[in-house]
Amino acid sequence: MRGFKKNMWLLAVVMLTGLWAVSPALAEDKPHYGGVLRVALAGDPPSLDMHQEQTFMVTIPMSTVYNTLVMFDPHQYPKIIGDLAQAWTVSEDGMTWTFTLHQGVKFHDGSELTSADVKASWDKIVFPPEGVVSTRKSLYQMVKSIETPERYTVVFRLHYPAASFLSMLAHPANFIYAKKYLDQDINWYKTHTMGTGPFKLQEYVRGATLEFKRNSDYWKKGLPYLDGAKYFIIPDTGARAKSIRAERTDVEFRGFAPVEVESITAQMGDKVMAAHPGQPAHWGIAVNVDKKPFDDVRVRQALSLALDRYEMVKTLGPLTGLDTIAGPMPPGTPWTLSPEELQALPGFGKDHEANLREAKRLLAEAGYPNGFQTVLTNRAVKLPYIDFGVYVVSAWKKIGVEAEHKLEESAAWSKSRLTRDFELLVDPFGFAAEGDPDEVMVKFTSSSPSNWGRFKDPMVDQLFERQKVERDAQKRAQLVHDMQKRVMDKAWEIVGLWWTRVEVRSARIHNYEPLPSHWMNRRLEDVWLSAR
Amino acid sequence: MWQYIVKRLLLMLPTLIGAALVVFLLMHVVPGDIALLIIGGDQGGDINPQELVKLRAQLGLNQPLYVQFFSWLWGVAHLNFGTSLWTGTSVMNEIMIRLPLSLEVAIAATVVSTLIAIPLGTIAAIRQDTWVDYVVRVVSIGGLAIPSFWAGILIILFLVIYFDWAPPLEFVSLFRHPWENLAQLIWPILSVGYRYAAVTTRMTRSTVLEVMREDYVRTAWAKGLRERAVVVKHALKNAILPVITIIGTEFAFLIGGLVVTETVFTLNGIGRFMVDAIAHRDIPVVQTLVLLIACVFVVVNLMVDLLYAWLDPRISYR
Amino acid sequence: MAIATRPARPGERPQALPRHHAWGAIGKFVRTKPLGAAGAAIIVLMALTAVCADLIAPYDVYEINQQLQFTPPSLAHWLGTDEFGRDVLTRIIYGARIALFIGLVSSFLGATGGAVIGVFSAYLGGKTDLWIQRLMDILLAFPLLVLALAIVTVLGRSIPNLIVAIAIPVIPRTARIVRSSALSAKENVYVEAARAVGSSHLRVMWCHIVPNIMAPFLIILTAQLGSAILTEAALSFLGLGTAEPTPSWGLMLSGGAPMYAEKAPWLAIFPGLAISLAVFGFNLFGDSLRDALDPKLRHRT
Repeated sequence: MRGFKKNMWLLAVVMLTGLWAVSPALAEDKPHYGGVLRVALAGDPPSLDMHQEQTFMVTIPMSTVYNTLVMFDPHQYPKIIGDLAQAWTVSEDGMTWTFTLHQGVKFHDGSELTSADVKASWDKIVFPPEGVVSTRKSLYQMVKSIETPERYTVVFRLHYPAASFLSMLAHPANFIYAKKYLDQDINWYKTHTMGTGPFKLQEYVRGATLEFKRNSDYWKKGLPYLDGAKYFIIPDTGARAKSIRAERTDVEFRGFAPVEVESITAQMGDKVMAAHPGQPAHWGIAVNVDKKPFDDVRVRQALSLALDRYEMVKTLGPLTGLDTIAGPMPPGTPWTLSPEELQALPGFGKDHEANLREAKRLLAEAGYPNGFQTVLTNRAVKLPYIDFGVYVVSAWKKIGVEAEHKLEESAAWSKSRLTRDFELLVDPFGFAAEGDPDEVMVKFTSSSPSNWGRFKDPMVDQLFERQKVERDAQKRAQLVHDMQKRVMDKAWEIVGLWWTRVEVRSARIHNYEPLPSHWMNRRLEDVWLSAR
Repeated sequence: MWQYIVKRLLLMLPTLIGAALVVFLLMHVVPGDIALLIIGGDQGGDINPQELVKLRAQLGLNQPLYVQFFSWLWGVAHLNFGTSLWTGTSVMNEIMIRLPLSLEVAIAATVVSTLIAIPLGTIAAIRQDTWVDYVVRVVSIGGLAIPSFWAGILIILFLVIYFDWAPPLEFVSLFRHPWENLAQLIWPILSVGYRYAAVTTRMTRSTVLEVMREDYVRTAWAKGLRERAVVVKHALKNAILPVITIIGTEFAFLIGGLVVTETVFTLNGIGRFMVDAIAHRDIPVVQTLVLLIACVFVVVNLMVDLLYAWLDPRISYR
Repeated sequence: MAIATRPARPGERPQALPRHHAWGAIGKFVRTKPLGAAGAAIIVLMALTAVCADLIAPYDVYEINQQLQFTPPSLAHWLGTDEFGRDVLTRIIYGARIALFIGLVSSFLGATGGAVIGVFSAYLGGKTDLWIQRLMDILLAFPLLVLALAIVTVLGRSIPNLIVAIAIPVIPRTARIVRSSALSAKENVYVEAARAVGSSHLRVMWCHIVPNIMAPFLIILTAQLGSAILTEAALSFLGLGTAEPTPSWGLMLSGGAPMYAEKAPWLAIFPGLAISLAVFGFNLFGDSLRDALDPKLRHRT
């Protein structure tokens, strides 16, 4: 018996020693409470009301203070999960959506969130009253009404069975506000905060910092892990990159140019991680089809043929991040055109010499054997607008098209776009949520306000209307493919390149993966920092 | 004397109002407005025309021009400079957050450059046409030739490569942490100051040269006074007047010229604020800033003229 | 300017100026004012570069070359290439054209405009003078930035518009100085005499006032040349001047240079050197010219 006891003690000692040795390794994977995440932000949020703003400068800091009804799962994108909504059902005909809310969700002032708050917030977004702007209203034109039959139930009734409804609902900008304050002053949220989110706004020094501190009564128990988050406003890109290098900030949530990423990773090695989560934005060229000679499809096709996109990627990629070739729908989704489909379209074939010859032939056929002069209106921002414009202008010289590179600063460019005061226009478009065709392809319909060239193609319109209500995913994908091919075949818009976002973050940040759009996954509720 | 001051201050008014009016008209002539930027967002995405109209009405942009201008002017008379169209907070507030930093850089640059320039210019004048003079002249002309933003870029490049420097994220107040604050601001101050020093050096040199040729100086020499006595007591006192004018005028231009320095060094000052406000077409902010700069300009000119009169008893004002 | 003359003595014939006198004058200028001569040499060099740009530039200014992006200075590319693979030396050579053109035209326009206003203002006097003075004050107090932005956004970013934007601030500065000279010239007894005889205002201004303001006019003009080049660089840097892909020096310093400064420092160094050298040359020359013209002139800028 004595030998047995001795062996037991030995075993116990060994086990305990083993556990003690292993536990630090285990601790690494276990979330660690504490720490303040320091973020480099490119500019001041103009106001604090996301519903009325359209810039990431609001989304990135303010997402920490609010919840949304549903959201994209930050760890399993593009799956949509409930945030404030516990569950939901959709009717047979797809026109009624019923959401059941979590109970016991508290605003920062202690009051409970009910369906009335959800309705008040969504009414503001979909049916903005007098004196209130809702910048993304057109995404929700399918919503007929919002009802609250019970304290924790919200019902959305739609005009038509929209295939994109849930995706639009999950858009990160749809913060849920408190009805109490909206009733006091519909614009209260422009200068105040009151949400249900994991953090509260502690201090805002304009031009300098935004400080958020932990909401210890957050309704998702155990969260957040961080003590707080501090956003430093650093307008200059170079200075933002340097702040990461100097370890004064931990992450920059929008994206850096490739050259900045190079210098950061070269200096910091494995203290940082550079992620390439996807392509949320595209730069192409809008054509004003009411100005000669752009009403002639051959001219438009020639302009597209003259661009060797494979070469463009090599030149512009390392400079600007414009390094992905795809059609109007973003790469990496079921809607994306396959390489075979692409190569059949004008300007995407691999034989550039043949493309150039074809372009010149088309121009000659259209009556411009020696090319012509035109103006490319561009926004005066270096990356990637100006670089893109410089390349395109240089490429068109080869087919005899002499384009004057007209740079306008942002406000003037915006106006030129709106009033169609351009012949050719460098045209960015992108998505902030999932890149649903309703969000992206609506631009090519004849009635869309962002169809800057104002082209009218009934076939494109038809395809859009059909895909809007098509609930079968495969059939819908086919319709979207057809729509893209039609737009590119007729070269209504000259598709350029997609921009890859590169996000650089400190290796101390855990449980966080960047998503394609820089608007997403900014709540920080389950992100944690390891000790220095 | 007081009558003169009051008269000058009154004359200031049409200048200021004129400047504000010119700015107002310019900002309305220039294409694009703030509503487009707010609704368009970062990449200028979808612009819903109804929302655009609504926003313009909300910001008061659809009122007739004279109403907009006079209501702003009326506010100014009550020291209410309007509300920023971009943020919705008071313009005065926004400016006061940024003004101290710019003022500090401007004043420090003035002090530093004056302390360097006057002795340097005097020495160059006294030792005219010697190598000292040539060196000072070449250096100061060189200083004038270097674009200030280029100097800033080079300084930053140098600091980053050799000292692993990064621009400071938060500026500490001068009054609470003086040394740290100066350490943060020394580079922008130098970037702005060397040019200022160059101008002042040249002016000092040429005025001292002229004064040295005057009869009373030559008399002093003839009397056998030592060099220092001649220079300091006789020449400098009279030469200082145009130098003061230059310091004053340059200071006024400095405020406007802070823009490039603040851009390069990421300072949250009024220069950059002005650039942003213009880009956003935030009309009340731009008007107030222009008014502020014009005010500084006029007041500094007045102060210089008064100082002139005080120092030179030959000049008197009706 | 008074020229000493005496009546010809009988039998004397006027002597022709010996041909080597011109060279002699230059030699004298170089010896007495070496700095000014150095400045003049720089200016001449710049002018030659600008004029012969097509002949001496080794490569094409606009051609994009992906293989050559960011090559450091080498034998093939003395000053390296930029982010698009374009040769920096070529762009600097063509940039001299733009700098010289913009500098000369805008300072000339501004100085002449200001001089005209100054003369009229001084001559007409009274209320007109007062109002013109106020107007000049407003222009002077106006931040260049707002003005440049307005011009550029309304009219577009082109070289002629840039010239206007740079010329306008020169006008009030010139007007002020010219006005004070014109004021003292007006007191001259010749003016009264001319008016008494019945000469028109314009004639009086042209024959009697203008010659007296030539010296300060030339001084301002030369002083502004360098500053015009700097202003163009600053405006291009801020995005209000010339537009890509124009090879203007200021523009070369704005776009890629600060961002690529660590990777490709030659992009940040050479255009700045070019600007500095040019302005340096103009300032040196202008200084010596001013000394030569009227060393006693008190300058209240």
